[in-house]
Amino acid sequence: MTDRIPDAVIANPKTKYGNAKASTHHFIAQRLTGAINVVFIGFLAFIVLRLAGQDRSDMVATIGSGWIGPPLAVLLVIVAIHMCNGMRDTLEDYFHGVAYQRLMMLNTAFCIFIAVAGLAAILKLVFWG
Amino acid sequence: MVELMLPKADRPTQGKSWPKPANAKRLREYHIYRYDPDQSANPRIDTYFVDLDDCGPMILDGLLWIKNKVDVTLTLRRSCREGICGSCSMNINGLNTLACTKGMDDSTGPIKIYPLPHMPVVKDLVPDLSTFYAQHRAIEPWLKTVSPTPDKEWTQTIPQRAKLDGLYECILCACCSTSCPSYWWNGDKYLGPAALLQAYRWLIDSRDETTSERLDDLEDPFKLFRCHTIMNCAKVCPKGLNPAKAIAEIKKIMVERKAA
Repeated sequence: MTDRIPDAVIANPKTKYGNAKASTHHFIAQRLTGAINVVFIGFLAFIVLRLAGQDRSDMVATIGSGWIGPPLAVLLVIVAIHMCNGMRDTLEDYFHGVAYQRLMMLNTAFCIFIAVAGLAAILKLVFWG
Repeated sequence: MVELMLPKADRPTQGKSWPKPANAKRLREYHIYRYDPDQSANPRIDTYFVDLDDCGPMILDGLLWIKNKVDVTLTLRRSCREGICGSCSMNINGLNTLACTKGMDDSTGPIKIYPLPHMPVVKDLVPDLSTFYAQHRAIEPWLKTVSPTPDKEWTQTIPQRAKLDGLYECILCACCSTSCPSYWWNGDKYLGPAALLQAYRWLIDSRDETTSERLDDLEDPFKLFRCHTIMNCAKVCPKGLNPAKAIAEIKKIMVERKAA
C-alpha cells in the first residue's frame, strides 16, 4: 500500500492511469484473437497429427502447400498478438512503474521475435523447401 | 509491485485469551483481529467466549456483547443492525459479509473475524475506506443532464425504471471490492466492483444525458479493464447483487461504441 495515488486524484473522473485510447482496442483484440485461436487449435492439431511419424520431406510438402502454409503463418501472427496482449494484462496487474515498462518492452520484443522467426521459417518452407 | 505476504510488522500474532463468562452453559468462541496504531506492537488475534443465552443470534450481536461485557476497547463500525447501512462489513470466517445479517449458527467452530482484506486498518475491525469513497465519487453517482430542468421531475417509464433493479440496491459496504484480487493489486487505479456497479447504474439510467462522457471517463486499462471476471464480488455481495455482470455490460457498451 505504498506510493498510493492521492484520493483527490482518484476522485477526479478525468484521471487516466494508462493508455486510454488503446484500452478497449486491446480488449477487442484479445477477445477476437482468442476466439480465432480456438478455431485454429483444431487446424494445428490436424497438422501435428498429419505430420506425426513422417520425415522432413513430408513435412516440407505439407507446410509448403498453399492450403497449409499461409493459414499457419496467419495463425502465428494471431497467436503472437494474443500472447502480447495477454502478457500485457498480467504485467499491468502485478508490476508497476519502471519494472512494468521494462518487462513490457521485453514482452513486445519477444512477441515480435516469435512472429518474425515463425513467419520466416514458414516462408522458407513454402518458397524454398 | 504486488505484495504476496504481509510485512513482518503487520503479521498477526497470538493475542490474549479472555476468560469465559461465569456460569455460562452455551458458549461460542470468537477469534478477533486486534490492531491499535497507537501501539507499536503487531496486530494480534484475541480469543473471546460469548454466552449464547445472554446474546442475540447474529455475529454482530456477539461482537456488541463482547464490547459491552468483556472488552470495551474492541472497535468496530455498526449502525442499522439490519443490512441496510453496510457499516458492519468485515471478513467473517474467510468471507466478506455484514456481521448483522450473518448468523452465528451459519457455521460451526470458532468464528474468525478480520477487517475487510487489503485495506489500511484504522483500528481493530475498522478499515480506512477513504479511497473506496473517492472511487465512488469518480464515477459521478448523480443525474447529469443538459436539457432544461422540467417543472416537476425527470420521469421514467416502468421498463426504464426496471433496468435499475439489481443496481440501485448497493449499500456501499465494500464487501465486493475488497474481495477482488484485481482490487487488491491495483486498489488505487482500478475502480473496483462497487464503483463500477454504480457507474453502470448511471450509464443505463434513461434520464441521464452524459452517457458518452461517462464512457470516456471509464476508457482506461486500469479503471475498468482490470476486471478479469473472477466473480468474488458476486459471491460475497450481502445484497445478492452481481457487480461482475454490470462490469461485463459496461465492457459490452464500450465495444459496441468502438465498433459503431
